[in-house]
Amino acid sequence: MAAGPPTAVLALRGIRVDGRGRPRLEDVDLSLAPGERVALLGASGAGKSSLIAVANGLLAPAAGTVLWEGQAPARSRRGRRRQQARIGTLWQDLRLIEELTVQQNLNAARLARWGWPRALLNLLLPLDTDDCAAALRAMDLDPALLEQPVTALSGGQRQRVAMARLLRQEPTLLLADEPLASLDPRLAAELLALLLAQAVAPRALLLSLHRPDLLDGFDRAVGLKDGRVLFDGPAARVNAALLADLYGGTPPGVSA
Amino acid sequence: MKPASPLLMLLPALVLVPLAVLLPPLVHGGGWELIGSFVLAAVTPSLDPVVLASLLKGLGVTAGMALLGWAGSLVLGLVLGAASSRTVWRTLTGSGVPAELIRCLLALPRAIHELIWGLLLLQLVGLQPAVAVLAIALPFGALVARVLSDLLDALPTANLEALRAAGAPAPAALLTALGPALLPGVLSYGGYRLECALRSATLLGVFGLGGLGTDLKLTLQSLEFHELWSGLWLLLAVMLALEAVISLLRRRWLVPGRFVLARRGVGERSREMLLTLAALLPLCVLVGRGLGVDPAALLHWQPLPGLGGGSWVATFALPWPRLVGGTLLLTGLAASLAVGLAPLLLLVVAPVGWARQGLRLLWALGRLWPPPLTALLLLFVLEPGVITAALALGFHNLGVLGRLLLESADSTDPAAEEALACGGSGPRLALLYGRFSGLARPYLAYGAYRADVILRESVVVGLVGATGLGSQLLESLSSFAWDQLLALVAVYALLTLVGEDLSDRARRRWLAAA
Repeated sequence: MAAGPPTAVLALRGIRVDGRGRPRLEDVDLSLAPGERVALLGASGAGKSSLIAVANGLLAPAAGTVLWEGQAPARSRRGRRRQQARIGTLWQDLRLIEELTVQQNLNAARLARWGWPRALLNLLLPLDTDDCAAALRAMDLDPALLEQPVTALSGGQRQRVAMARLLRQEPTLLLADEPLASLDPRLAAELLALLLAQAVAPRALLLSLHRPDLLDGFDRAVGLKDGRVLFDGPAARVNAALLADLYGGTPPGVSA
Repeated sequence: MKPASPLLMLLPALVLVPLAVLLPPLVHGGGWELIGSFVLAAVTPSLDPVVLASLLKGLGVTAGMALLGWAGSLVLGLVLGAASSRTVWRTLTGSGVPAELIRCLLALPRAIHELIWGLLLLQLVGLQPAVAVLAIALPFGALVARVLSDLLDALPTANLEALRAAGAPAPAALLTALGPALLPGVLSYGGYRLECALRSATLLGVFGLGGLGTDLKLTLQSLEFHELWSGLWLLLAVMLALEAVISLLRRRWLVPGRFVLARRGVGERSREMLLTLAALLPLCVLVGRGLGVDPAALLHWQPLPGLGGGSWVATFALPWPRLVGGTLLLTGLAASLAVGLAPLLLLVVAPVGWARQGLRLLWALGRLWPPPLTALLLLFVLEPGVITAALALGFHNLGVLGRLLLESADSTDPAAEEALACGGSGPRLALLYGRFSGLARPYLAYGAYRADVILRESVVVGLVGATGLGSQLLESLSSFAWDQLLALVAVYALLTLVGEDLSDRARRRWLAAA
């Protein structure tokens, strides 16, 4: 194996995304090393969601390059799917499949690696019960929930099932777009701790936040303002002056 | 081991397995060249002005019959619907019992397919434009009445009671309290019935009741495929335009779609709706004049041959179990084909964007192409029988179901499918897991309703022979065996009513479990 710095899990160079009137992202550079935990800060409309969408391949940038583990987006459909399978996204609305059981939902994260026979069998029989139970336990959930339909879960349980599904995908890049936005403070802190605990090398985490009070545990913070990177440095260096600049006034959550 | 909902949606497609075994022996060497030249003629339709003029005239007659039959069915349906509503009777007389009685009586015209009505009327009063109109209006009217009274009785009655308590007379209170709430549902269903009426008018033409259907059948029988396709493309244009206008009006007026997943706002612009309806009246009068529809002529009945005593023995001697079994087999095969193939084909073409448009076109052709003509076409290469008839009937209903499935797939939230694709799932599995999961139950519920429609429709492929009650019915009709005919219609009606009850139960179960 060649010496030198390890390949970045995600590398964005000169990204531009056009929006109505002004660009939603302009000349954005961002790189995530294995094991790195990066918080993305910014007011609403600063471009956090667009950046996450570029990072998970949902949005093709108008300019700039995206590299996943050193590779440009593959041309072939199969190659591209293999890349996407290594990118795990925790969606704000969770996107669980309401008609299926917890176990079927967890296994849905394996569809990228499974062929048709297993994908169909998963709709008929409980598959990979041990792995699914382990994923639930990692999220402090009772494996007895596996057979439950996801509609029977509480809000907090749904969050954890969505995170368990993310683990089941075994991604190298973990992305989360404001996953804590609609949660009460205690639950938000618990979930953040679980997410941070999963982001160990070779995995990297990029999580967008609008609450700068939750920065403990992140290695780095990146501030976006009007589609541009305003700062990019150690999370510990984020201070009141930086935040005031970022939010153009009193930042939320620091008043207390 | 309970299959999850997306899998349930694919289960009916398992019918392909027995079909794959049974179909090859049915293929006879015959007319592959004929099928070939039929397919080729699709891109080279006849542009002869004489042909086109004659086809356009036929199309005008078909469209006119459809419009008048539909308008008649709306009028009938509104009156009979109100007359079979428990709420209406309770408000007017204090008792809902007469409503139940009328409901039972209406089951009969509803259970008999418009083709049987058409052929019966043809025997009674001879060939004239009013026959097709009435043949459509009677069963459609009974269907509208049922839907309307169901809608009426499902409405909350608090407003009505408040108006009555304030001293409003019963008819005025009914109209004020229930009328506006009813309008969107009635318009949505009415729009769908107009599409059905166009298909039915074409079908009736195939059986000699005039219009484009007659031209289509004659060109097919004389193997004039270029002229046949000219007629088909014209009909397709009219049908797609009609469907587009109806769905535009649905969106504009915010009335619910046929395949309701989530009820959005109630109707808007009710004045515009009423004006549109009012504008239809002079149009209908004009069309009626143009076609030479004479309602009075319906009163001159031709003398019927008497019901001979001895022929009842022949009626009893009919192979009833085989006839009923054939009809049920035909219905089951056609329904499974239609319900199962629509999601399967969508999955197959999922990775290719333009292929969806191809499917859309294929399904439009299926809707428009009357099943007896498909059956005749299939006879070029297949032996007659239940399977050939089921293919024809299945193709037609695949067109109806496929369109509904595609429309509702396009109108549901793409989030789950997108999330799966983003995690590297292939487009097919993302569609199956992400989108079909939520669609499965309402789709299957609609499929249950459709199976009931298919049972009623099975008579139209009767001319393929040996397909059960349908073919026997057409045979008895052409030999003027009235007693057989009556018995067959009665059995058919009974079967349809049982089927309707079963499909209602299935539908309620699917939707309740959702």
